[in-house]
Amino acid sequence: MGAIEVRGLVREFKKGPRAVDGIDITVAEGEIYGFLGPNGAGKSTTVLMLTTLLPPTAGTATVAGFDIVKQGAEVRGAIGAALQEAALDKFLTGREHIKLQGSLHGMKGAELKRRGDDLLERVGLTDAADRKVGGYSGGMKRRLDLALALLHNPRVLFLDEPTTGLDPQSRTALWDEVARLAREDGVTVFLTTQYLEEADALANRVGIIDHGHIVIEGTPAELKASVGRSSVEIEPHDAARLGDLERTLAAFGTPLTMRGTSASIRLNEGVSDVAAIVRALDAEGIGIHQLRLREPTLDDVFLEQTGRSLEGSGDDEDAAE
Amino acid sequence: MTGFPTWWSGVSGIAARQTRAFFTNPALIIPGLLFPMLFFAAFAGGLSDLTRVPGFDYAPGYTSFQYVFVLFQSSMFGGIFIGFAVARDFENGFARRLMLATPHRSAILFGYAAAAMIRAAFTIVFVTVIALIAGLDILGSPGQIALLYVLALASNILGSLWALGIAFRFQSLSVTPFMQIPLFILLFLAPVYVPLQLLSGWIRHVADVNPATFLLEGGRALLAGSAGPVLAAWLVVIIGGIVLGIWSLTGLRAAETR
Ligand SMILES: Nc1ncnc2c1ncn2[C@@H]1O[C@H](COP(=O)(O)OP(=O)(O)OP(=O)(O)O)[C@@H](O)[C@H]1O
Ligand SMILES: [Mg+2]
Repeated sequence: MGAIEVRGLVREFKKGPRAVDGIDITVAEGEIYGFLGPNGAGKSTTVLMLTTLLPPTAGTATVAGFDIVKQGAEVRGAIGAALQEAALDKFLTGREHIKLQGSLHGMKGAELKRRGDDLLERVGLTDAADRKVGGYSGGMKRRLDLALALLHNPRVLFLDEPTTGLDPQSRTALWDEVARLAREDGVTVFLTTQYLEEADALANRVGIIDHGHIVIEGTPAELKASVGRSSVEIEPHDAARLGDLERTLAAFGTPLTMRGTSASIRLNEGVSDVAAIVRALDAEGIGIHQLRLREPTLDDVFLEQTGRSLEGSGDDEDAAE
Repeated sequence: MTGFPTWWSGVSGIAARQTRAFFTNPALIIPGLLFPMLFFAAFAGGLSDLTRVPGFDYAPGYTSFQYVFVLFQSSMFGGIFIGFAVARDFENGFARRLMLATPHRSAILFGYAAAAMIRAAFTIVFVTVIALIAGLDILGSPGQIALLYVLALASNILGSLWALGIAFRFQSLSVTPFMQIPLFILLFLAPVYVPLQLLSGWIRHVADVNPATFLLEGGRALLAGSAGPVLAAWLVVIIGGIVLGIWSLTGLRAAETR
């Protein structure tokens, strides 16, 4: 049995949309599952249901083997979660949060202190631990939230857009930490994100959700392979030969809209075409200033599945539709 | 890790947080103390001539008569204030952490209620010291006085359960008036300034069936060491505890299933 099993899960808000509209997900133990989707897709609603904070309208789900509706207490004992909006009390210090969180999970004394200090250290908050959270930066709050989620060694970890608002350095650090948790401690991670690179870098498997439906699911490589081929972008030495370049390239694939001084095509065959292209250009006497090979991205997957681009799609655009 | 020790640990963790917040925040402590003190000064000082009204027969005197009122009033409002804290926790999202990390969520309810009780105990001590300075006369036996304070703390629990039921349901500070107003009305329609038998007209009819009357009269009887309507006071506590216990637990369920 998977660490997370979701069957036909639905959540309909009373005066709102069917935010989650019958999703099925299976996440294996120790797996990092990336839940990718634009604003308003239903990611947080799914997380709230799986973490027992919101009852589903229909469908079933088990987390760590426990039913989210009938065995809420057991689920809560087995999971940790850092939600989209970190639930912190600005009048408490970081360490006081640790103490409270520990007591909620029945931890105390030396064990709690050691674990708390260790986690504060790991998220880089040792120096700020005795300051009130009201004075923390957004990134510090997120890191404290993560430490709190990990305090009781949960078997399943839910992270709802954990890197939003983090600087690149903290983001990388968090990725490393999440990867380590899954690899070394066997923690199952359910991670929502709007960032393709995040899902790509971190997730063993990705589900793309849009308007409450999972539109496609698979490993990042599978998904990218499903949209198929790589593309190549070439900038000529001599900008005047751009037209010749385009004509030559056309033999190797479908031209793509290009930016200014370069031409690009979606390759017919794949990377193996590149050698032939270089030879052809050489024969034409077109010097290559720069050549970029582009693998398909998850954005291409999303585009293919929904007809929209993931970056910058979502509620705002929906409203304009 | 979801058994009783975890539950209890959660209760004490939540109570400790609220208690720490209370004792480290003068803006919370001072009104809670000033309020009963002003009440006390105004009534016991200004109205003590009431004892000369024919029929006023409270042996320990007017200060003691008022002391019981201030005791119950501040205990109950101590319960109301915890409702404010819960509403605030829901409004700013912190309650989600509690809901998420607490396996058995009744620990949340009990934790807040325990914090309210600790706070009420502190207020009771304070009010009592002031009253002693102002000439509080205690005629009841030590056992009766102990029961008086148990009754006061029990009424604090009633206030907490009432306010928690509202806070869990509405999760917003905008409904805090609904926590306070019914209590104000109950206390207003009870024999606050004079004993029940000196009330007349419609207010007497209301006071006759007002649960707050039974608490006050019972408390006053205990303080005076007389065999007053103490049983009725305990009945109010027990029945009120059951009704408001259900009210707050169903409120918690409502918060879980929003
Ligand atoms: N409490 C609520 N009441 C009514 N509608 C809601 C509620 N919460 C969410 N919704 C709606 O449900 C849909 C899905 O919201 P959700 O928060 O799950 O999206 P999301 O994928 O997490 O988006 P984001 O990337 O912006 O966090 C949205 O249309 C949202 O407006
Ligand atoms: Mg969200």
